[in-house]
Amino acid sequence: MLSRPGNLTARSQRLLVVSLIAVALGFLLVVQLRSQAAVARTLAAQDDTSVALLINDLNRANNELIQQSVALAQQQAQLHQALTSGGADSQAISKELITLREVNGEVPVHGPGLQIRIQGLVMDFELQDALNNLRNAGAEAISLNGYRLVGSTPVISRGDSLIVAGHAVGTALVLLVIGDPERLEPAANLSASSLQTRVQVDIQRQTDLAITEVVTPRPLIYAQLGK
Amino acid sequence: MTLLASVSLATFLVAGLAATQFRSQPLPPSNRVARDAALRQSVNQLEDQNRTLKARVQALQADVKAGEDESARRSSAAQEVKAQLDEQKTIAGLTALHGPGLTVLLHDGTDPNDPADKSLGWTIHYQDLQDIVNVLWASGAEAIAVNGQRIVPSTGFYYAGVNILVNNASRLSGPYTVIALGDPPALASGVGNPDQLAELKSRNRIYGLGLSWLRSTRLGVPVYDATFLLKYAQPPG
Repeated sequence: MLSRPGNLTARSQRLLVVSLIAVALGFLLVVQLRSQAAVARTLAAQDDTSVALLINDLNRANNELIQQSVALAQQQAQLHQALTSGGADSQAISKELITLREVNGEVPVHGPGLQIRIQGLVMDFELQDALNNLRNAGAEAISLNGYRLVGSTPVISRGDSLIVAGHAVGTALVLLVIGDPERLEPAANLSASSLQTRVQVDIQRQTDLAITEVVTPRPLIYAQLGK
Repeated sequence: MTLLASVSLATFLVAGLAATQFRSQPLPPSNRVARDAALRQSVNQLEDQNRTLKARVQALQADVKAGEDESARRSSAAQEVKAQLDEQKTIAGLTALHGPGLTVLLHDGTDPNDPADKSLGWTIHYQDLQDIVNVLWASGAEAIAVNGQRIVPSTGFYYAGVNILVNNASRLSGPYTVIALGDPPALASGVGNPDQLAELKSRNRIYGLGLSWLRSTRLGVPVYDATFLLKYAQPPG
């Protein structure tokens, strides 16, 4: 038979063991619950596929921005060189002017790209989606049935008619798109896949397309320069 | 005996939980946490880099503009070309603008939590923003920005998973604010036309997307935060 102090020691040891186990139990329980909560919160906000796609697009955009920086640095160096030698380089300014006229659709352009023929009735949002996909794939110039399309060109359905820049276009649509065919073609195929249940879409690569139509700039009436 | 029973039970529970925790370590939950953390870190780093690169592009544009301004002061030929260039920059969105116009507001609505409703009609899709922008152009808008991103000739809205992206992977999230400069009554009439944005307006009634618009006498749109680089389109000759 153990003495009273001996009994107390044994009880204390057991209590200590139980306490330790309880602490461990609580710790594990908390870790378990927190890890599950973290997973649920992350998945609720964004799935892995979304994040992976975002990474891909950010990489592509950042590469594009690096290329823009290089081009601007060259332009700046060219201007600076002319200025330090006491002159002015109007050619560097002209080069930028031509690029912006091309971007704004004010001069004819040519280059590689796609010819897309759509036979059948297409709604405004379907054409918008297609144009959107092509711009995201780096389209540099687009025309549709003899009209140059720029970012501000509205596309509206009126009944069964498609109105582009205020002009009704026929049911056979011919899009000419200048850009990298390797990037444009998957974008065109994506749009075609959603259209082909109702209309016939034919996509052809071209090594040199000519877009001769131009946009006449609208004068600004309401907007003024400055913030 | 009671104490021993408690110890036994607690030990059993600890062993059980430890086993569960151990099993969960190499399997999906914690792995997913680690993967999510790594992916999110990559996104944060790339978005930081994206902001830095845009700032670099804008700084270089300012340097180039200073060089062009100085060239125009020194040469009448350069001055003539520079005047045309400034006009083209304004059209392309490379100049900040202000004036009267319309602000269109919308946000994600309420998830109906209805298993029969799998339409995701309560969320704003990139096509909704694209449709609003298209209607505003058709109504005579002279310049447009969405959540501070200027709409330029190369702008396209797109999805990267659940993210809406625009202009060099700039992520847009709600609430969405579309600002258009132009004649406020004409812009409001275009957006308010029942034939326009019909599907969005229908979803607005069902899910509460907060679609509204407000005329203003003075609004501003920022400058495009990058530039244009053509690699394939060439002028004739």
